[in-house]
Amino acid sequence: MNETPSDNIIQRMRARLWPNGLPRDDRGRMRLVVNNLILHIHPAKVSMRAMRWTYTWGLGGLAAMLLVLLGSTGILLEINYTPSAPQAYLNILELRSNVWFGELIRNVHHWSANLLVVVTVLHLLRVFFTGAYRPPRETNWLIGVGMLLLVLGGNFTGYLLPWDQLAFWAITVGTSVLTYVPLIGDALGRLLLGGPEVSGATLLNFYSLHISFIPLAIFGLMSFHFWRIRKDGGLTNPRGVDETEKVKLERVTTIPHLVRRELVYALVWLAAILVWAMLVPAPLEGIANPDLSPNPAKAPWYFLGLQELLLHFHPLVGAIIIPAAFFIGLALLPFYDVAAENVGVYFRSHRGRSLTVLATGLSLVSTPLWVALDEFVLHWADWLPAWPSLVSNGLVPLAVVALGLILMDEWVKDSFKATVEERVLFLFTFLFVAIFILTIIGIFFRGPGMSLYWPWAMPVVSH
Amino acid sequence: MNTKQKITRLIEFLFGILATEAIVFAILFYAFEEPTRLVSAQNEILQTQVDDAMTLYAENCAVCHGLAGEGIGATPSLDNDGLRTMDYDELVKIIARGRYETAMPAWNKTDGGPLSDYQIGELAALIQSGDWNATRDRVVNLGLAPLVPFETEPDPVIFEQIGALTDGAVLQQAVTLFATECVACHGADGLGTSLAPALNDPLVREKAADELTRIITLGTPGTLMAGWSSTLAEEEIAALVTLVTRWDEVPLGAIPAPDVPVPTTAESLALGEELFAANCSRCHGPEGQGTPRAPALNVKSFLTETSDLAIQQIVTQGVPGTAMPAWGDRMTEADIQAIVGFIRQWEATAPEVATPARGGGGGPPWLRSDAPADVFVPPGQQTDGAAGQAADPQAGATDHREGSGAGGPPDGYGGGGVAAGGEHTAGEVPPWAQEQVQPAWWETLDQRVLVLVFSGVGVATLLIFVGYVALRRNPPSDGE
Repeated sequence: MNETPSDNIIQRMRARLWPNGLPRDDRGRMRLVVNNLILHIHPAKVSMRAMRWTYTWGLGGLAAMLLVLLGSTGILLEINYTPSAPQAYLNILELRSNVWFGELIRNVHHWSANLLVVVTVLHLLRVFFTGAYRPPRETNWLIGVGMLLLVLGGNFTGYLLPWDQLAFWAITVGTSVLTYVPLIGDALGRLLLGGPEVSGATLLNFYSLHISFIPLAIFGLMSFHFWRIRKDGGLTNPRGVDETEKVKLERVTTIPHLVRRELVYALVWLAAILVWAMLVPAPLEGIANPDLSPNPAKAPWYFLGLQELLLHFHPLVGAIIIPAAFFIGLALLPFYDVAAENVGVYFRSHRGRSLTVLATGLSLVSTPLWVALDEFVLHWADWLPAWPSLVSNGLVPLAVVALGLILMDEWVKDSFKATVEERVLFLFTFLFVAIFILTIIGIFFRGPGMSLYWPWAMPVVSH
Repeated sequence: MNTKQKITRLIEFLFGILATEAIVFAILFYAFEEPTRLVSAQNEILQTQVDDAMTLYAENCAVCHGLAGEGIGATPSLDNDGLRTMDYDELVKIIARGRYETAMPAWNKTDGGPLSDYQIGELAALIQSGDWNATRDRVVNLGLAPLVPFETEPDPVIFEQIGALTDGAVLQQAVTLFATECVACHGADGLGTSLAPALNDPLVREKAADELTRIITLGTPGTLMAGWSSTLAEEEIAALVTLVTRWDEVPLGAIPAPDVPVPTTAESLALGEELFAANCSRCHGPEGQGTPRAPALNVKSFLTETSDLAIQQIVTQGVPGTAMPAWGDRMTEADIQAIVGFIRQWEATAPEVATPARGGGGGPPWLRSDAPADVFVPPGQQTDGAAGQAADPQAGATDHREGSGAGGPPDGYGGGGVAAGGEHTAGEVPPWAQEQVQPAWWETLDQRVLVLVFSGVGVATLLIFVGYVALRRNPPSDGE
C-alpha cells in the first residue's frame, strides 16, 4: 500500500517485503492470517468454544510441533551420523562425549519421538470420543490413522539407529513377526532387513526410511490433514451433554486469540521437553552384539501390547490377523458408525458416558484375568495336540475371545437397547483399555523368559 | 475485549513468559555445564570400554599374557609404559592382525579371529589406560586365571632312575626342558590340561618323529601351540621328541604338578564362603571343622599337606568310595577355585587338631558324640580308598551309619540316629535332611500385590456398578 520510495535501504526493504506492517485493527489481523502461508492453516476468525483447551487439549497442534522439533533435531543428528555398523554406535558415543550439545539434541529427539507416539494416540482418542470423525470428516480420520502408522514406523526405524544392544534386539524381536505374514513373509522380511537378519544392511535401510521416506510421507499427509480441517469446516464445536445442537457461537479473530494461545502452548511444551531432556538422558547400552541376546528381549515399548498378544496367540493370529483387523476396524469406523449427531459432545450422551465407564471397568477386570488364565490355566496346544499350532494356539483362542466380545456386544444391545453408535463406543473403549493394559503388562510385568513377575520382584539377569 | 478475555490474555502472557525464561535459562545453564559434562562423558565411556575389555582380556588374552598383563615365559608383558604410550592405531593393528613369527595370532573377525573392531579398540584402551589390578581381579573372578608359575622341578629320585635308561642323558635333558617350558600347558607328566592335549599318550607315541619335530618347531596353526624354533635348539627339540615317543618308559611322578596357589579376590572369597555354606558345610561343618559324615578341612595337617591344585582336583572329581561327590558337573571352575581359595585362607589360623561339630557345645544334639576328631587322609595315602570312613571314629558314631533312612546323605547317616547321645528322638529329622518345603503361592504374596489387585478390582467393580446403574436408570429416549 505504501508505495512511496524511501531513501533508506532498510526502509525500502521493509516496504517491499512487508508492505502492510503490523496490523492495527481486526480487519488487518484477519487479512494477515489469510495472506500468510503458515497462518493460513487457520481461518480468519475462530469460535471461542472450539478454542477451549479442555476440548482438544491441543493434541493435534502438539503433534505438529513435535514433528517440527523432530525434523530440526533430526537434521542436526544426521550431520554426525554414519549408517553403518559399528560406526553408527561410535558416532553416538562421539555425540555424547565430543560434540557440544550433542547429547542434548539426541535426548530431545528421543523424548519427542516417544512423546509423539503418546500424543498421536491421545489425539485419536480425543477425535473418537468427541465424534469428530463423523461426516464430513471421514477422510481426515483415514489420513489420521495413516499418520499414526507412519509415526509408529518412524519411531521404529529410528529405534535401530543408535546400534546398541537395546536397538538391535528390539528391532530383531519387532521384525521377527514378519516371517509369519502369509506367502510373502520371508520376502518381506528380507526386503526390509536387507538380508535374513538384522545387520549393517538393515541399518542403511532403516536410516533411509527414517530420514527420507517417512518424514516426507508424514509432511505430505500432515499438510493434507490441515487442509482437510479447513475444508471440513474447522474444528468440531464442543457442546455440553445437555446443550442443544444450535448454540450461539461467539467468534473472535485468530490473531491474537488463537495464535497467542498456540504460541504459549508450544513454548510451555518446548520448555518441558527441554528440561526433561537435560535431566533424563536417552538410554544407550553396549554396542549391538548379535551373539548375546538380553533376557528378556523386548520390542519398543509401544509394541509391547502386541508382543503380549504373541505370548497368547500363534504369531499369525497375534501379530498379523489381530493388528490388521484392528487397523482395518479403525479405518472402517466412520463408515460403520454413520450417525451424524452428538458431534462435539464428549462420549456422545449421558448413556454414552455410562457405557464408556462400564466398558472401562469390564476391560480393566477381564484383560488381566484373561492374561493370567491363558498363562497359567489354558493350555490349548496341550489340549488339542492333534491340531496344527495355528488352529490350537491361534484360531481356537481367537474364536473364544471373539465369542466373548460378541456376547458382550449382544448383552449391551439387549440389556440396554444400545444403538449402533453406542455399541461402537462400548467396543472401542473396551478394546483400547485392553490394549493399554496389555502394553502395561508387557512393559512392567514381563521379566526373564517373558514370564510374569510383579514389577517390584523383577529378577535381574546378568550376562 | 471483555473481562474474561483479559484474564485469559493475562494468564497466557504469564505462562508464555515463564516458559520463555525456562528455555533461555535452561540452555544457558546447560551450556555453562557442557564442558564438564563432555569430560565426564569421555571418562564414563572409557571406563565402560575398559570394563568390557577386562572381561575380553580374561577370556582371550590372560592365558598367554598372564593374570594381570605381566607376561608369561616368552609372551611379553602388556603392563608397561612402552605400550601405554604407543600409538593407538599401532596397538589396534597388532591385536587385529597378530604378529608375524610370534605366537600372537590375528584377533580380528575379518582375519579369522573372534573379536570385532570395536572390541579390539576396547582392548587397546585397556592397554593404554586400564587398571591391571582390577584386571587381575576380573580374571580371577571369572575363574580364568592361568596356572602360574609355569614351571616345576623334576622329582630328583626318579630323575636318577631315568639316567639309567637307554639314552638316559637325552631323556634327562628332555624332562628338564619339559618341566620348564611345557608343563604349564601339557600338564604334570605330560598328562594334559584344559589348555593342551596329553603327550604322555599311546596315540601320540605312534606318531612319526618327523611329524612331532615339525609340530614343535613350527607350532600348530589355530591353537595355542607356538613354534619353538626360536627358543629351543634343534637337539633340544630332538630330545623332547625322544621323550614324547618313549614316555611309557619314564615312571609316573617324574614331572610333578607345580604347587600353584589359587589366586583370590575379595569377591571370590565371598563367593567361596557362600558356596561352602550352601554345599560343603552340611558334611564338613559350618567352619570346616568336620562332622561324622566328612573329615575336617580347617586343620593344619590337611591344609599344609594338600596343595590348592590337589584340593581343586578332589572337589572337581570327588573321592571314589567315599561320600565326597564330584562337584565338577555341578559347579564351574570359577566356583570351585573360589571354594579352594576360601578353604586356603583358613591355613593361617587353622588348629593343629580339628574340633569336629559334635561333642560339647559343637553343634546340634544329633551331631554330638564322644568320638575323637577326624584326621584327613589325603587321597594318595589312603589304605582302603575310603578316607572318610577309614578315619571315622569307631565308638559312639557307629549308629550313624547303620540307619539308611530316606533323605539321609549318601554315607548312611539317617533315620535312626537314636544312639547319638540319646537326646535325639526317632521322629526328628535333622535340618539338612529335611525336604525343602515350597511355600504355597498365597504365602509368597506381599502387601503390594494385595494393594494392586484389590485396588484394580475395586476400581473396576466401581466403574461397572456406576455404569450399569446409570444405564438402567437412563433408557434410550427414543425407545428405538
